[in-house]
Amino acid sequence: MAKWGMVIDLEKCVGCQACTVACGMENNRLPGENWQDVIFFSEGTYPSAQLKWFPRPCQHCENPSCMAVCPTHATYKTEDGVVLVDWDKCIGCKYCMVACPYGVRFYTDEKPLVAPDMRKVYASKDDHSWNPPWKMPDAREDWKHGVGIQPHDVVSKCTFCYHRISKAPPGTPDLDPQDPKLREFTPACVVTCAPGARFFGDLSNPESNVSRIIGDKRGVRLLDQLGNKPQVYYVTGDGGAVPSSRAINKKV
Amino acid sequence: EAQATTAPSGGPTVITKSFCHQCPARCGIDVYTTDGRVHAVFGSLDNPLSMGKLCPKGHYGQYLLYNADRFKGPMKRTNPKKGRTEDPKFVPISWDEALDTVAKRMNDLREKNESHRFGLIYGRGWGATDVGVLQTLSSLYGSPNIGLGHSSMCSDGSEETKKILDGNHGYNAYDYANTNYMLVFGAGFLESFRPFNGNMQAWGVMRTKPAKTKVTFVDVHLNTGAAASDRALLIKPGTDGAMALAIAHVLLTEGLWDKPFVGNFADGINHFKSGETVAAVFTDEDIQKRAQAKEKAAADKAAADKAAAEKAAAEKAKTEAAHEKLLKEQVLAKGNPVAEKAIAEKIAKFEKEQAKKALSEETDRKQREALDKEKKPESEIKAGQPLFEEKWVLGLPQWWNAVLKDCTPEWAEKITTIPAKIIHDVAREFGTTHPAIAIFERGAHAHTNGTYSGMAIHSLNALVGSMFAEGGMAYQMKSPAGKWPVNLDDFMDDYAKSPERKKPRIDMKGTDKWPMVSNMLQEVAKNHNEAKPYKLDSVMFYMTGPIFSGPDCTAWEKMLNEVFVINTSPFPDETSVYSDLILPDHTYLERLQVADTYPFQGYPISMIRTPAVKPLYDTRVFGDMLIDLGKRIKGSTGEYYKKLGNTENIIKAMATVFAEKPGDNGVNSYETWKEKGVWFQKPYLWRQIRGEFYEWDKAAKSYSKRMTQEAVKEKLLKTPSGKFEFKSGYLEEEHHVHYLMEKFGLPAEMVGFPQYLPANHAGGGDLHFVSPKLAMQAEGRSGNLPHVTASIQPTQGGKKTVYLEIHPETAAKRGIKDGDRVRIKSSVGAIEVYARLYNGIRPDTVALPMIHGHWGMGRWTKNSGVSGSTNEVTPNVSDAISGQCCYHSAKVFVEKV
Repeated sequence: MAKWGMVIDLEKCVGCQACTVACGMENNRLPGENWQDVIFFSEGTYPSAQLKWFPRPCQHCENPSCMAVCPTHATYKTEDGVVLVDWDKCIGCKYCMVACPYGVRFYTDEKPLVAPDMRKVYASKDDHSWNPPWKMPDAREDWKHGVGIQPHDVVSKCTFCYHRISKAPPGTPDLDPQDPKLREFTPACVVTCAPGARFFGDLSNPESNVSRIIGDKRGVRLLDQLGNKPQVYYVTGDGGAVPSSRAINKKV
Repeated sequence: EAQATTAPSGGPTVITKSFCHQCPARCGIDVYTTDGRVHAVFGSLDNPLSMGKLCPKGHYGQYLLYNADRFKGPMKRTNPKKGRTEDPKFVPISWDEALDTVAKRMNDLREKNESHRFGLIYGRGWGATDVGVLQTLSSLYGSPNIGLGHSSMCSDGSEETKKILDGNHGYNAYDYANTNYMLVFGAGFLESFRPFNGNMQAWGVMRTKPAKTKVTFVDVHLNTGAAASDRALLIKPGTDGAMALAIAHVLLTEGLWDKPFVGNFADGINHFKSGETVAAVFTDEDIQKRAQAKEKAAADKAAADKAAAEKAAAEKAKTEAAHEKLLKEQVLAKGNPVAEKAIAEKIAKFEKEQAKKALSEETDRKQREALDKEKKPESEIKAGQPLFEEKWVLGLPQWWNAVLKDCTPEWAEKITTIPAKIIHDVAREFGTTHPAIAIFERGAHAHTNGTYSGMAIHSLNALVGSMFAEGGMAYQMKSPAGKWPVNLDDFMDDYAKSPERKKPRIDMKGTDKWPMVSNMLQEVAKNHNEAKPYKLDSVMFYMTGPIFSGPDCTAWEKMLNEVFVINTSPFPDETSVYSDLILPDHTYLERLQVADTYPFQGYPISMIRTPAVKPLYDTRVFGDMLIDLGKRIKGSTGEYYKKLGNTENIIKAMATVFAEKPGDNGVNSYETWKEKGVWFQKPYLWRQIRGEFYEWDKAAKSYSKRMTQEAVKEKLLKTPSGKFEFKSGYLEEEHHVHYLMEKFGLPAEMVGFPQYLPANHAGGGDLHFVSPKLAMQAEGRSGNLPHVTASIQPTQGGKKTVYLEIHPETAAKRGIKDGDRVRIKSSVGAIEVYARLYNGIRPDTVALPMIHGHWGMGRWTKNSGVSGSTNEVTPNVSDAISGQCCYHSAKVFVEKV
């Protein structure tokens, strides 16, 4: 069984947010409810100020703190290493949102970021929280795996595009979107990433491209000291670092 | 309210080939449709531009298609009063009534001999099926104002600059993947510079290839492109040209120009010395001096040779003496075996050392001889011979003498605020890291001095030999197209052919007022309001909204109050608030449409978009709307359009050429084109290699056919001289010289050179004001897309609104705190917005993205937090050469509300 993981090359990432938008399109996100967010921050002083950004999907931890606190076992880890929410079991208590150190979980019925509320404009007549005309094919909906237009009062999160990756041929080491045979099984954010900063593959296979990149380019994990063991790795290039352990190395 | 029309689920997913509409780049897209609804858009894997990728904008297609505020069909205004707050009280009408209404106005004007008073203003054109059709209408109907383009409000400064220097009126194609140094002036390379998708793909390659491409980014605030680069230089607005000139100065004084492309001094000596002019030709005195120097060198050499020979002789004598001494010792040692052995060893060692020394000297001598043999014979210099022998450039020594000799980094520091040492460093890197490219866009050229600044920047590409080189830049080849099915000339009636039709355009393009421009859209409202040259009667809009996006945009409100306004947008916008008729276009996922590529890698590409779904509403694709309108024009004009039929006929006719010119992907017909979505033929046909031009040899699969000077002039360097002209023949044409002298206060002999002239900053304020475009800002419609608003300005945390970037010290002086409501004021207007304190912007500059502030665009634009368009405070000022609207040259006041 694969252990799916992602590598994000921060040297290539240009902060365009295409991952955010592609994910939003693929997974019918509400505006601002970004399963795949890019966090921007700036520091320093003119004319040597810094502007930085950090793409942050769910880290799909080996040891997910969100799962540990879930009272209904709605949050669970699949055999192939993905952390998911079963919307049939979720009661919307938000414990998981508090427990997650990465801030990547979202509650359905928050105040809308942009008014008027799209959920009212594209209102649903059934259990779904809204009914956008561009929603994913009905046949793809899969509440057990947290895929689809979510119902009211549940928590949602990045699924690594479970509806895509779960259909990949068993034993595939890497889901390379440039391979026409594997493209449709690759997470949307990886498919679209123009500078090619994202890689997706089987971390349990030492010969997969993701494993090699982590080895060769010294992949690091976000907030590794917490012990969650994310399955999302970052490679930082020369002088870069993930925010938790970054060092200032600015050339003038 | 808008509802999804969901058919029963479980149907197959269909992928339709199309191309993106969110910027001019035209990336091929796969549109995913299941159960009759579009739910995803991805880049086409087999499209050479998108390569399976998209920028963030590309994924918005379905949000536009299903936008709840779309117009559902043609409508007419019933409230005769017009104004921002006046409800037009639109009522639905049929297409027949709508088109008859327009046609009647057009026919009436023609009867009155006033067809020029019918105008059609367009923004993004997609090629034959829209711009092509409106051009035919302009000729047949007889109005110079059908087809007023928006390019002066886009980036004409860029195209005009290239025309002046290398004769190509166009944007460049770039070979980014092979470049090793990139110098970016005011182009939002990782936000808005086209093709954004291609740029990002190139960035991934450039920044991780074995020789990492080094990037220096020059802008007025820290955006993502600047932040991702190796060096971000925050330059004083409007002074980019000065920095480029200083870089050129260093390239020349340090001998870093590309000799094979540019040429060199005939005597091989660099005569470019800071502050000193270079003579045009060698004089008798030079020859004498040269002879004297030669004589002196010969004398010096003879003396040195003599001294060396004496030294060698002394050495030799010393060695021989030592050898003799050893031999004597050997004689003395005879009989003493121990001493004998010792002395024999000593002698052997001595002789071995001597032999080694001799061999080494002999080798040196031979090598020196070989080198001397390969030494080029010193060039014969004659009096009257030009000092500098130019290869593919024209006017370099003249440019040096007139401009560059004094443009030191220290000079530029005073103008740009960029430290001289850094300018020096950048110049050395640029001149020593080949291939290198300098790119610029609106940030640098949307100023009154924009063309001259652009010329200074683009000249750097010639100086380092990047024109048409690998890792350099070229121009976009046009795609082949079959002839249209109906010949326009056969249908030109006497009215259309009459000399009376030769009226000036309302924007005064090509008149003494704007002799060199392509378009002058920002002048239309002003000219109409002043009735100079005349007033328009009716105006139709396609893909543009100058009432929001034009400088000093409120002038358009006055104009549109007076004329009959026809809007073709599929969505409400500010133009439609003032419209009399709404003739809604399809959105792009519903259209059949074709286009050539936007400049990319030079080789020709043609795109086709096919409808992914049937039109949701009673809309009509613009090209067909025009044809249906044309059919209603009396006389032969109507006959022409009846014969033409529809846009599909045009596309089919165009595609016939692919039968004889099949694309690399096998596209050879209309059907295969629709199936693949794209036709292309690689490679780009020409390349400059070490100062020679070559054409692609198909058989040899290499650039190996050497080009003649004439061929280079015809195909690549299309200037009067067939060279890259630092002294522009185009600007020095007689009718341009006087215009330039008057507009820029230059003496006649200076008008042709790239140079720095201070920009004029209108607006009357104390802070520079720029209105950049952001990565998420899709073509025109994004103000009303909540998904765009939610992520629009990530660098400042702009999620519901966009913030005015202001430096903390600048803010403190005005009592402004982070998040405060502020007023931006200039001589033409004022808007209110929230402020964001940012250390990444110059203290003398503020920046507000041009996206929000809409007052007629739909329900989601009403709470944007921006009270009006940035263009309500941007004065209408243009570059006199290119006509480029100076969007970034305003000065404003900022105060706390």
